[in-house]
Amino acid sequence: MAVRNFLSCAKYLLVAAGITGVGGLAFLYSGIYPMGADVPHNALTYWGLETLRERSIAQAASDIKVPKDLDSAERLLKGGADYNDMCAGCHLQPDKTQTDFTLGLYPAPPNLSSNGSEHGHDDEGEYAQQRQFWIIKHGIKASGMPAWAPGHDDERIWNMVAFLKRLPGLSSEQYQILTARGENSEGHGH
Amino acid sequence: MKIKILTLAIAVSSLAFTLSAQAHAPSEHMKGAEKPDCAAMKNMDHSKMDMQDPVMQAMMKQCMQGMQHDEASASDGHEQSERGGHHSDEKSAEHKH
Ligand code: HEC
Ligand SMILES: [Cu+2]
Repeated sequence: MAVRNFLSCAKYLLVAAGITGVGGLAFLYSGIYPMGADVPHNALTYWGLETLRERSIAQAASDIKVPKDLDSAERLLKGGADYNDMCAGCHLQPDKTQTDFTLGLYPAPPNLSSNGSEHGHDDEGEYAQQRQFWIIKHGIKASGMPAWAPGHDDERIWNMVAFLKRLPGLSSEQYQILTARGENSEGHGH
Repeated sequence: MKIKILTLAIAVSSLAFTLSAQAHAPSEHMKGAEKPDCAAMKNMDHSKMDMQDPVMQAMMKQCMQGMQHDEASASDGHEQSERGGHHSDEKSAEHKH
């Protein structure tokens, strides 16, 4: 008796799973999901994608060894100049609130010159640096965030992580001085 | 004919890709480089300046190139500027890793 109950129950579950699968496929092929960057995901898709992204990064990044000397002036200068050249167009800088990229990309690039807590996670602890290093190196699929590993070695990426650590507190004057690649014309003693 | 076009397309796109990868050497970014606006530093609140702070140290490096030579950057910095014939010692945007 118990065995027969179990069998019929399993049969119903199987049929239900089949219907869900076929329904899912029909949905994919129907073309009704809006793919344009100007229509946000619904809450379920958003949750699913965000969970997928954060779990994947956490899994991949938690073993990365963070250099001990991130708080160095040398790293700030190298990373700052690179950030200004390659990232500020999407991730902003002090006193800038938007660019064409921040307005048009979906997911929108977070403003890295404001604190992490303002875009959904806090910047405490080593994981923040591991996570940023991984994201800069590998990029994020199906978002505007490129992988920077081609053409940029790990040291250069760590320099940018070092800069990102200090970026939220910088004034626009400090930002300009730290990121300028040119030489200062004043005070040259050689 | 089709294959030729395809080969050409692949060649051109891989060339573009290689070029774009090479364009990422820090020295390449030197073209049209902006100068640090050090005059702004004079207007900053000096009472809040902390010489232990890396941000402060980095700004000093950018702005007081003639005055400031710490042990770490002085040694390799000088060779660099002699070799390159270029006074970029403190900023060392052209350092090889
Ligand atoms: C073309 C636009 C674009 C450029 C250029 C770009 N990014 Fe991004 N970046 C993004 C987008 C979009 C995201 C968000 C991806 C997502 O939410 O899935 C992102 C995410 C990130 C994150 C994770 C932010 C967080 O805390 O969640 C970091 C760190 C980051 N980028 C660093 C950089 C750095 C460093 C550079 C320059 C070397 C750079 N990005 C260049 C678009 C860009
Ligand atoms: Cu680059």
